[in-house]
Amino acid sequence: MSDHLLSLMTFFPLVGMLIVLFLPREADRLIKSVTLIFTIIVFLISLPLAFDDVFLTSSAMHYTEFAEWISIGQYFQMNYNIGIDGISLWLVLLTTFIMPVTVLSTWHAVDKNTKGFMALLLLLETGMLGAFISLDLFLFYIFWELMLIPMYFLIGIWGGKNRIYAAIKFFIFTAVGSLLMLVAIIYVYYYSLQAGVAFENGFSAAHFAQLSIPVEAQMWLFAAFAFSFAIKVPMFPVHTWLPDAHTEAPTAGSVILAAILLKMGTYGYVRFAIPLFPVATMNYTPLLATLAVIGIIYGALVAMMQDDVKKLVAYSSVSHLGFVMLGVFAMNLQGLSGGMLQMINHGISTGALFLIVGFIYERRHTRLIVDFGGLSKVMPVFATIFMIVTFSSIGLPGTNGFVGEFLILVGAFESGLRWYTVLATTGVVLAAVYMLWMFQRVMMGKVTNPANANLKDLSAREVVVMLPLILFIFWIGVYPNTFFEKMNPSLENLISQVKGKQQIAILAEQQLDHSVTQVSVSE
Amino acid sequence: MNWLDLLALGPHVFLVFGATSLLLLGAWCSKTRVILLSGIFVSLLSALLSGIAPPVDGDIAGLFSAGGYARFFTIFWFLTAAITLMISVRFSIELNLNAGEYVALVLFAALGMALLSSAIHLLGLFLGLEALTLAFYVLIASNRRSELSAEAGLKYLLLGAVATGFLAFGIGLVYTASGSLHLPEAFQGLQAEDGHLRAWGLLGWGLLLTAVGFKISLVPFHLWTADVYQGTPSPVAAFLSTGAKGAVVAGFIGLVISSGSAWKDLSDLLWVVAALTMIFGALGGLPQNNLKRLLAYSSIAHMGTVLVGILCQTPTGFSATIFYIVVYVIANLGTFGVIASFSRAGEEPEDLDQWRGLGYRNPLRCTVLTLLLLSLAGLPATAGFIGKFAIFHAAIQSGLVSLAIIGIISSLIAFAYYLKVVIVMFSPESQADRPSPGEPLEFGVLAACTTAVILLGLFPGPLFDLISKILP
Repeated sequence: MSDHLLSLMTFFPLVGMLIVLFLPREADRLIKSVTLIFTIIVFLISLPLAFDDVFLTSSAMHYTEFAEWISIGQYFQMNYNIGIDGISLWLVLLTTFIMPVTVLSTWHAVDKNTKGFMALLLLLETGMLGAFISLDLFLFYIFWELMLIPMYFLIGIWGGKNRIYAAIKFFIFTAVGSLLMLVAIIYVYYYSLQAGVAFENGFSAAHFAQLSIPVEAQMWLFAAFAFSFAIKVPMFPVHTWLPDAHTEAPTAGSVILAAILLKMGTYGYVRFAIPLFPVATMNYTPLLATLAVIGIIYGALVAMMQDDVKKLVAYSSVSHLGFVMLGVFAMNLQGLSGGMLQMINHGISTGALFLIVGFIYERRHTRLIVDFGGLSKVMPVFATIFMIVTFSSIGLPGTNGFVGEFLILVGAFESGLRWYTVLATTGVVLAAVYMLWMFQRVMMGKVTNPANANLKDLSAREVVVMLPLILFIFWIGVYPNTFFEKMNPSLENLISQVKGKQQIAILAEQQLDHSVTQVSVSE
Repeated sequence: MNWLDLLALGPHVFLVFGATSLLLLGAWCSKTRVILLSGIFVSLLSALLSGIAPPVDGDIAGLFSAGGYARFFTIFWFLTAAITLMISVRFSIELNLNAGEYVALVLFAALGMALLSSAIHLLGLFLGLEALTLAFYVLIASNRRSELSAEAGLKYLLLGAVATGFLAFGIGLVYTASGSLHLPEAFQGLQAEDGHLRAWGLLGWGLLLTAVGFKISLVPFHLWTADVYQGTPSPVAAFLSTGAKGAVVAGFIGLVISSGSAWKDLSDLLWVVAALTMIFGALGGLPQNNLKRLLAYSSIAHMGTVLVGILCQTPTGFSATIFYIVVYVIANLGTFGVIASFSRAGEEPEDLDQWRGLGYRNPLRCTVLTLLLLSLAGLPATAGFIGKFAIFHAAIQSGLVSLAIIGIISSLIAFAYYLKVVIVMFSPESQADRPSPGEPLEFGVLAACTTAVILLGLFPGPLFDLISKILP
């Protein structure tokens, strides 16, 4: 079974989807239970990965599967080529872990056309898992687009008032990026064939990474990939779809969007854009680091001014993902592992924040900060959980957010992005400002609005939804090594490869300069 | 013509014989369903016949090829005709059409398509195209209760006549310049740089392309498309947008392959036409609130993409184009099939408002429509994506990078209108009037089209292998 563990994990949700589609439409509770069971089973299938010690020492791909999939004459070949390493390990587990939590959270939130909703959630899970384990760029692209469709419908059909606008905006932004990426993929493929990569390898990313693509071409190709991923992350200035999508999406949609889909962008950088185009990465680092820092500060400032809690959380994502990007482009072990960890952290804490917003929205059907106040007296359990999650989002020592942000800042500072780090640190302060200020206005003080006086505290189901998230907030905060030790070998390998190629490029350029000076001297 | 020629033409002859008998039968038998079902039977049997007929060496009377390429498309268009008849059954019963005429016209049109796709002589090309167009003049106006249908018929007639004029004149000029109407020679004569008649020959080529442009609605000859689609009953529109266009493309590919580099001088012009067609098709569909007009613009955009594939002028490009055509035909047949299955007595749900909330009351058919639209839009895991990918891959390979980028951007713009339809179908507010529940034959068509679109999306290999084998 372990031979096909990844395939089983990825396509099992599809089985669930088919079963859900054949259930009677009125059997609301049954549909939700079946979906929940399927997502839990997928989590259980993926669980052995977490305990596999092979990731401690080896940076290679494991659990690989390879099969020729589409082979069209002498024109092109695509392979079903999947595998997992330290970089994708925790993201896969995050996905399988978040899904049951999300399904459980929608128990009461979704009541119209539950069948379609649950079927799309399961399809989405297949898309996300597939994207994380694809080693063939074509396969990756297919899964990448496969995620887009269910999310589009989740927003467009079950969303709020402006759902169609938000859904189309989400779709157009993401599709623009992905189509540019497609052109770049075809170009690299064509180049690889000319450079002598065997036809049978298809769109294998590992083989593409061996190529030394001319710098000129790398700059364009990296730009296409980076643009596509930047939209997904989202980085300033292509982040504008995110607040709209989050505000309109149903809670489950927001949680998945924040916890996993956004990671797809940052993962794309680490897995594809950087190793494929190392020299271009080096040249673009100042630009991307600048955008990351702008995102950190701008996201935080805008979050501060929001009067809608959900929008506030959405803009805080822009800020947090800016940190991740800064860490990734530091290109040293601290920065990169901090960035990877922060992806998981953001998935957990922002996912939790969206769940919390969902809880109060279900009770009051409003998300405006002014409508609340003094909730901590009425809902003590809720207040405790909310506070823990807030601290995690701010990055208080002892919670997961601290470890990630600290490593990112250390890594970036050491890597020569010194001034960027100085500016980024203000983001940490600003995060405390907007989160605590929001917490104070919503939870503290007296109950001013009579509608809030009799709110019910969290139900057992809601506590069950939150507990695992809280557990990980502290686990990562106190003992992050569990996670680091399995991702570091892969990250070290990545860094040494990328740095090596960058060094060669720098040397080549110096030699060129040198010979030019020599020529001019001899003249 | 000798015995072998007749053998190769056997399926065609059988089809014509069947069509004529059904036409006569229609005069006595008033059972519409029986006649339509026999029509379906005739076209399926002809498809089968051309599938199992022994291969013939050489060509048919010097006019039509009998090779694999011709045979592939003959089978394909006969099947398309069968599917068209399947989705026409309820339409022709409810409108009380003269079934004999209707079936005969559809089958004659299919014959025209098959001949057009296998033409290796300019006269054969002309014959095929005219047989096809004449049948459509009548078919488009077949809903006599609708003014729009009459208008559409007239519009198609006038523009069709103009296009025929261009075609005839173009063929005449090519003959003047090269002294032959047989395909390779007719254009090889133009390759000689010193021939002082070369200019006339190129002019002839240009006029020929104009006629083709009218038929497959390339910009700037696309203006009729939306109006005609809107007025045409959806079973006929299905046939018009798939067979009529696909056969012209198939014939055109044959022409281009055999002409070699004779038309190199026109390729810059065609580059512009392809780019404009893709952009107009994408932009024009955006403001549409009528599903059939929207599909008209979608077909314009698709034809632009097809032209990109042909412009590559490489075997990769040609086989990608043929694959694309096959997938486009299947998805479009299914899409119009869904519309036809919802229609009642010629009244079709065309306005997007009529589709509002339909997804909740008829989830199965709306899901099918969603899948087909996603394939038309070219989203991964559907056949449409593989088709687009193959064409743009071929374009990048043959150096048409900017055209590929224009194509990709315009297909992105087109996403917006395909998805608009889907969102509207699954919006919670629903409309009062109840569309038709549909019938088993229609469901069969939808199931077949959906299965084909998904299977070809996941396993396109076999079809590509077949295409690369039959490519002339």
